Amino acid sequence: MSYTRTATYAARRQQSWGRNQNTARFVSPVKLGPVMHTILVALMILVLGLIYLTQASGSASYDYQASDLDRKINELATKKADLEVENARLSSLESVKNSDVAKAMTQPSTEYVR
Amino acid sequence: MLLTGAMVVIVLRLFFLQVIQHDHYVALATEEQVKKLVIPASRGTVYALDGDTPVPLVMNQQVYTLFADPMVVDEPTQVAQVVRDIAGGNLVVDNIEQNLTDGKKQKSMYRVLAKNVTLRQAELIKDKDLKGIGFQRVSKRVYPEGAMAAQTLGFVNNEGKGQYGIEQQLNDRLTGTDGILKSVTDVANVPLSIGKDNIRQEPVNGDNLVLTIDRNIQAKAQEALLAGLQRSGATHGSVLVMDPATGKVLALADFPTYSPADFTNVQDEQVFRNIATTEPYEPGSVLKTFTIATGIDKGVIDANSTFYNTDKIKVEDRTITNALKGVTGTITMQSALNNSLNTGMVTIAQRLGDGERINKTSRDTIYEYFHNRLGLGERTGVEIANEQKGILISPEEEQGNAVRYSNMAFGQGLNVTMMQVASGFSAIINGGTYHSPTVLAGTYDGGKLKPENNSTARPNVISPGASAKAKEMIHQARVGYTNTDTPGYYIGGKTGTSQTLENGEYINSQTVGTYLGFGGTDAEAKYVIMVQVSGKNMNLEGNKHAMPIFTDLSNWMLGYYQLQPRA
Repeated sequence: MSYTRTATYAARRQQSWGRNQNTARFVSPVKLGPVMHTILVALMILVLGLIYLTQASGSASYDYQASDLDRKINELATKKADLEVENARLSSLESVKNSDVAKAMTQPSTEYVR
Repeated sequence: MLLTGAMVVIVLRLFFLQVIQHDHYVALATEEQVKKLVIPASRGTVYALDGDTPVPLVMNQQVYTLFADPMVVDEPTQVAQVVRDIAGGNLVVDNIEQNLTDGKKQKSMYRVLAKNVTLRQAELIKDKDLKGIGFQRVSKRVYPEGAMAAQTLGFVNNEGKGQYGIEQQLNDRLTGTDGILKSVTDVANVPLSIGKDNIRQEPVNGDNLVLTIDRNIQAKAQEALLAGLQRSGATHGSVLVMDPATGKVLALADFPTYSPADFTNVQDEQVFRNIATTEPYEPGSVLKTFTIATGIDKGVIDANSTFYNTDKIKVEDRTITNALKGVTGTITMQSALNNSLNTGMVTIAQRLGDGERINKTSRDTIYEYFHNRLGLGERTGVEIANEQKGILISPEEEQGNAVRYSNMAFGQGLNVTMMQVASGFSAIINGGTYHSPTVLAGTYDGGKLKPENNSTARPNVISPGASAKAKEMIHQARVGYTNTDTPGYYIGGKTGTSQTLENGEYINSQTVGTYLGFGGTDAEAKYVIMVQVSGKNMNLEGNKHAMPIFTDLSNWMLGYYQLQPRA
């Protein structure tokens, strides 16, 4: 097999870039001045601020939910404690002694002992 | 140029405010935005026992103080009507409408209308949407068993501090530790999580304590005491019930008494005091059991030892006589105990020395037994506030002479508490082990009783043999009264009638009656009961006035413990 070497000259730029690659440079016709830059930065800060506020108020709404739940827990705990107190009062010796059941009781006979 | 100067001024001012005064303004902002709230710890509840089951004696209840801002209330008549209808029993003002009108005139912004309003009542009032009405939440102690064991419990004052009884003595354990919430809050004080320095430290609630007090025994002790006082006409009385095998106090009843829920209505501070621990007195002849036990343990007497009784005996320059006269001649120590003869006890004191005199050896021995071994004249360490140690004069002191010690042998010349006497007596009849008394059984957590052993045991304060002999002698001393005891059980006891001191002199016009005894089966004493009755200018006697209370309670205890009588 023969090997043919081309004698065509290849530019150095052509060697380093790939084949068919666009080598054109585009330059935007719109030029942003310092005022526009400032406005854009301000807008970005505003957007970031809004995002922060959204997040913060979002977490605050959870705080209100948590606070509401805490209040309900306290309320239920208070009701539970009230019921426990009522239960203890109803089970106290004095209540039992004065209950209708106790009043209906009679003295047991001790005859069987003799 | 002018603009530049203005800019420089502004920049400098901003630098001053934002850099130099940074910390100051941060502090101001923190003060405004960050609230430090206390999360109150719940005070521990207190339980008694019903057999082995804890039952609440002291609990906490959240209640509300109802207040009004007269400047905001626009319809006083409607407010008055609603508050009267819903919380009429909790009012602290007579005429609400007038009170609000007066408040408005005086430009007052805070008038308390009702106290101890329950959550349910508060909700009903809130539903009416009244203007100018507010609620303040407070925690209060409630007592489901009413006045039961009031002097053992004590109460909690308006500052939240325990006063008297275990509430004072165990205040630190009951109080717990408040929690802290440090947080950025909104205007309504709702904590927000946006702060970076928020702190939430949960409160540690106080211990829920379980007492050794058995509510059934306590209730019966109170009932028996009250009935006994009504029979005798005595105005003051105390009953102490103890388990001699452990030192656990099963009941402590005092009369007059009070309801801890209404402690503010008490006129006489004396009723707050737990008599058995804070009022030392001369118990009289019940202490003859101590002298007998000492004599037996030292081997100088037994039940059948004899002495010659002439109803009087000379000690130094004093002549000591018997209250009961006529049991003279050669008699046994058992007879001396049965008839409560002072001469017999002085004879034992003499025999503890050289047989003739109550010398230093005798006095040292009595002090060793009474004080060091059986705990008289020393605080027992029971968990009740203001316990007194009483007075038991050492033989090393000038006043600890032969006359003093001859008196001590029959229960005079010393000041001791019922708690000391009952604890020492328990050691005498339980085989010789002294258990320091306790009212604390443990803590109640998660529905379970976690026992604590707060009693320390000192074994062999007298030998088991001496204990058995002394116990039998005390049993025999009660034989004359056994027609009132439930048959089939082993009961013993000793009376005491002590003169009281007025201006340093014993007077006969006012005596204190005491009874000290035990009960149970032949194998084991299950309880020790000590009763004391007294009254101003009253002659109260151990056998007539205190012993019936013992008998009533003792017979009931036998049934309560379901002890099997001997066949």
